[in-house]
Amino acid sequence: MAIANVAEPLPLLRVRGVEKRYAAPVLTDLDLDLRGGEIHALMGANGAGKSTLSRIVCGLTTPDRGTMSLGGEPYQPHSRRAAQRAGVQLVMQELNLVPTLSVAENLFLTDLPGRFGFVAVAALLARAVEALTALGLNELDPRTAVSRLGIGQQQLVALAAALAHPCRVLVLDEPTAALTSAEIELAFAHLRRLRAAGTAILYISHRLEEIRQISDRITVLRDGRVVATQPAADAALDEIVRLMVGERAVGALDQRDHSPGDVALRVEGLTRGKRLRNVSFEVRKGEILGLAGLVGSGRTETVRAIFGADRTHAGRVSRGPGPPLTIAGPKDAVRAGIGMIPEDRKEQALLLSQPVRMNMTLAVLPAFVRRRWWIDDARELRAANELRLRLDVRSHSLNQRAGELSGGNQQKVVIARWLLRECDVLLFDEPTRGIDVAAKIAVYRVLNELAARGKALVVVSSELAELMALCDRIAVMSAGRLVTTFARGEWSEDAIVAAAFSEYAGRGDTARRGRVDSC
Amino acid sequence: MLKPPTAADRGDSPAVRSLPRIAEYLGLMAVLVLLVALFSALSAHFFSRITFTTLANQIPSLTVIAVGMTLVLIAAGIDLSVGSVMALGSAVLALARVEWQLPLSVAVALCLAVGLLAGLANGFITVRWAVPSFIVTLGMLEVARGGAYLVSESRSVFVGAAMGRVGMPLPVIGLSPAFILAVLVVFAGEVLLSKTILGRYIVAIGTNREAVRLSGIDPRPVVVSVFALSGLLAGLGGVFHVAYLESADPNSGIGLELSAIAAVVIGGTSLMGGRGSVVSSFLGVLIIAVLQTGLAQIGATEPAKRIVTGAVIVAAVILDAYRHTLGNRREHD
Amino acid sequence: MHPGSRSHTGALLLAVAAALIFSGCGTEREPSRGTRRSAAEPPRIALIMKSLANEFFVTMAEGAKAHQAANSGTYTLLVNGIRNESDLAQQVALVEQMMAQGVDAIVIAPADSRALVPVLGKALRRKIVVVNIDNKLDESTLQQVGIDIPFVGPDNRAGARTVGATLAKRLQRTDKVAILEGIPTAFNAHQRRLGFEDSMRGAGIDVVAVQSAHWEQDEANTVAAAILREHPDLKAILASNDNMALGAATAVRQADKTGQVYVVGFDNIPAVHQLLQDGRVLATADQHADRLAVYGIEYALKILRGETQPHDTQTPVDLITTAPH
Repeated sequence: MAIANVAEPLPLLRVRGVEKRYAAPVLTDLDLDLRGGEIHALMGANGAGKSTLSRIVCGLTTPDRGTMSLGGEPYQPHSRRAAQRAGVQLVMQELNLVPTLSVAENLFLTDLPGRFGFVAVAALLARAVEALTALGLNELDPRTAVSRLGIGQQQLVALAAALAHPCRVLVLDEPTAALTSAEIELAFAHLRRLRAAGTAILYISHRLEEIRQISDRITVLRDGRVVATQPAADAALDEIVRLMVGERAVGALDQRDHSPGDVALRVEGLTRGKRLRNVSFEVRKGEILGLAGLVGSGRTETVRAIFGADRTHAGRVSRGPGPPLTIAGPKDAVRAGIGMIPEDRKEQALLLSQPVRMNMTLAVLPAFVRRRWWIDDARELRAANELRLRLDVRSHSLNQRAGELSGGNQQKVVIARWLLRECDVLLFDEPTRGIDVAAKIAVYRVLNELAARGKALVVVSSELAELMALCDRIAVMSAGRLVTTFARGEWSEDAIVAAAFSEYAGRGDTARRGRVDSC
Repeated sequence: MLKPPTAADRGDSPAVRSLPRIAEYLGLMAVLVLLVALFSALSAHFFSRITFTTLANQIPSLTVIAVGMTLVLIAAGIDLSVGSVMALGSAVLALARVEWQLPLSVAVALCLAVGLLAGLANGFITVRWAVPSFIVTLGMLEVARGGAYLVSESRSVFVGAAMGRVGMPLPVIGLSPAFILAVLVVFAGEVLLSKTILGRYIVAIGTNREAVRLSGIDPRPVVVSVFALSGLLAGLGGVFHVAYLESADPNSGIGLELSAIAAVVIGGTSLMGGRGSVVSSFLGVLIIAVLQTGLAQIGATEPAKRIVTGAVIVAAVILDAYRHTLGNRREHD
Repeated sequence: MHPGSRSHTGALLLAVAAALIFSGCGTEREPSRGTRRSAAEPPRIALIMKSLANEFFVTMAEGAKAHQAANSGTYTLLVNGIRNESDLAQQVALVEQMMAQGVDAIVIAPADSRALVPVLGKALRRKIVVVNIDNKLDESTLQQVGIDIPFVGPDNRAGARTVGATLAKRLQRTDKVAILEGIPTAFNAHQRRLGFEDSMRGAGIDVVAVQSAHWEQDEANTVAAAILREHPDLKAILASNDNMALGAATAVRQADKTGQVYVVGFDNIPAVHQLLQDGRVLATADQHADRLAVYGIEYALKILRGETQPHDTQTPVDLITTAPH
């Protein structure tokens, strides 16, 4: 091969002319080179073909055309197993763990150490501890059932599971979506070690900041084609977004007038065991209040408690100057004009196997009723269609199943549900988790628009940049307490992070304690 | 993939949507036609009007019970108590007529009330203590059966003409009022499921109960109503049963819950909840009834009856699943 | 938050499993009265029945209880039934429980004519008197185990023959009839079917169909309706019990053949009295269910008193052609 350019090392994984089509082409004539010892970010809006490409590399899908080679040898994996044997590992966005099995069993699911058909428990535990320690998870008991872990820890276990096997190429599909910043740092440190050891890492993420921090090169996909590959160091944020979206869609997010009105929601002394300790705050009309903190710090618990999704032990919630509300369940909250977009949209918000239309109108069905019992199909359809256009929900039709939409479009459907309901107070729990940049921008727009129309919003997010761009104020939670609130202009990333850890201080390793609390 | 919505996409007019719904029944219709053709070939006397009217008059109980079971399964529950509740209802009905000499309307009301109460109890316990309905209705299966033995002293009661002609064929058309009522219940069930708020909530709860709750809808009253309805329909099944057989047998309806579940599942209703159709369940009932009648008419041996029945149930479900994947593939194109 | 809301995976399978598992519970149990009796106490007799949900056995048990109430000084009675006629294991367990309680005699209607023999042999070795009623234990099995248990009960085959003969008088040679059998594996079902067949063969009548309706009314109706369609010139249906006769009579009426197709049954349950009166059921056999257990008990008492040696005894079966008043 050509030795002319010594600075350009030979690619470890070489993809040439790969094509894949289902109903429509998903990947077209795609070339990609992955070098040993590099972290290569793959970016693109949802539907750009990132996941299909990673599935092809990992043997989950076979391409219609095109070739791949690994370390100079032809590489045609026909199953995930074959890819793993060749040293290609995958950590997916959709967790591939078996919730009822223990952490240790999940780590070595494909090759449990055994003797005469029985699992060799001691050997398994020893190997598990080793694998977990490598990721800084040494406090995690490998015998814990995965279902008892927080989603962030599950994500780390999935990563550990991939790394517990020999690994030449590692494909990471949104590995940090559910992680707190401390957890991300741990994961990154490990990825850097792998890179130093010569592993090629293909890194798929929607978090631009993160990608610039960790990756060496960036490849942007749009509509199944590579539109650019460039060194990460040179990449300008809005340039990448433009490449991905294909237009100057972004613009300045913050065009809202920050002049909140009267108090719309008052929360006093909310308490639920050790998870929530005496949380009090107010939100005004037209205001967006951010809730920052580590996973498990009580952010989700706070919004769920306000909404009546969980029982609380003490505390009062009132609408503005009004009397305290009696909220025995979500039904009462909704009646009082409070809506919630829950953290886990698939498990807690969507009817995945049902049509988009039914998902959109679920909370407001009684509004489309004729003669008390009957659903007025025409009116329902009209309302749903209006919402689809207003939020730009990309679906074949309103009868398409919600589960077939991309994450971003699913989130829009959930938000649509509450737009119809016209709630005055809306609680958003991680509204942009796992959705692509274009969809994130759409969600931000909706949030801003709602605030501009005088709604009071509470937004929980693990992405500080997002909160700092959107919010009027940011309240920081730590170990179940609301420790401090920053007004716009007073905050800095460092101050928020410091506040988030404040309640864990003096109790040993702060970062780890934060995670332990989250499970 | 990412295509802007076009005008064609928005053509979800009710007329357009009703087309695939009819197609939905074609698979089951085909099974039914196939069975009828098969039995007609095997028996010279099978393909006749009297076969079909007799068959129709035999199925009202199973039909209405399958309607209730469909709704319960769509709501991701299960009701194992229907057979026992039917037996209890029929025992009460027969005694009310024969022993206590109550008017027919009062006796029928009593029977329906017994079913409704059993259903309400199922629903209330399921919701109040968050117990799986499998266990609750399994308990009710025992309780109601015991109740049936208790009120009837474990004896069959002959009712005879005291039930009027509800279960007897009408002149000219040869169908009984019970059958006509049962068909009406099927259509009422389908309308309830597809056109009313309650039906929409039932589907939604069966799909994702937590999502429904977090949408501000209390799922509990809906679940209670579904079980109450299933109980009420089991009571109605009891009325039809007594009317048709002119007597009440406290041992009737043993294993009926499995026949009902089989009919409903043949009709494509998911045991996991969230998907199903009442009309399809009715077709499932017809398939089971044709099979039972046809096998008896051709004089099949006991082992043959059981093996064939089991095989047809599984084959019908496989066919239905296959048709579904085909339909889904078409949807994607 | 809502445990179990989506936990119905494979519910059908579970339902089947549960139906099997739960069919073995719920014995009626008399309170234990201690295991040893003093010499002055009257003998204790255990009556072990098949299903007490079955009308026939309920009548039997009630007859026995009434008899004991009238003779309370002579003996005490423990009545037990199993839940389901085919639940052998539970009946075996019952026999063992009764042995453990130290009863003096066991009067048993065995759920199976072979499977119960070994455990009854154990009872005999403990010097417990055993009397067999209702369903006769298999001769060859008794011989293999090397025991002798007296059978006190009706001859079902002879009873069925009598009922069949009554029917045959109304029919002509080469007429067509059908038989509804009980649960094919049951001894009584087999005997009654043989009895029906004996009488039909004797009169030269053609049995065109024999199908099981498992003793059940509903199934008998479906099966009878199908047979009526398949054989439009059918003249009679012989049902092996009255419940099935009820179902068959309804099928005849629904096929608009009342008066053209005769129905006969067996057992003489109250529910058929009206039909006997109307002529919709021609005949049935009464084996005096209320006396059946009593015969067994009286026989056991005789053996206990040393008055008789074990040997088989037949009890009467009466032909019923009009309802008793």
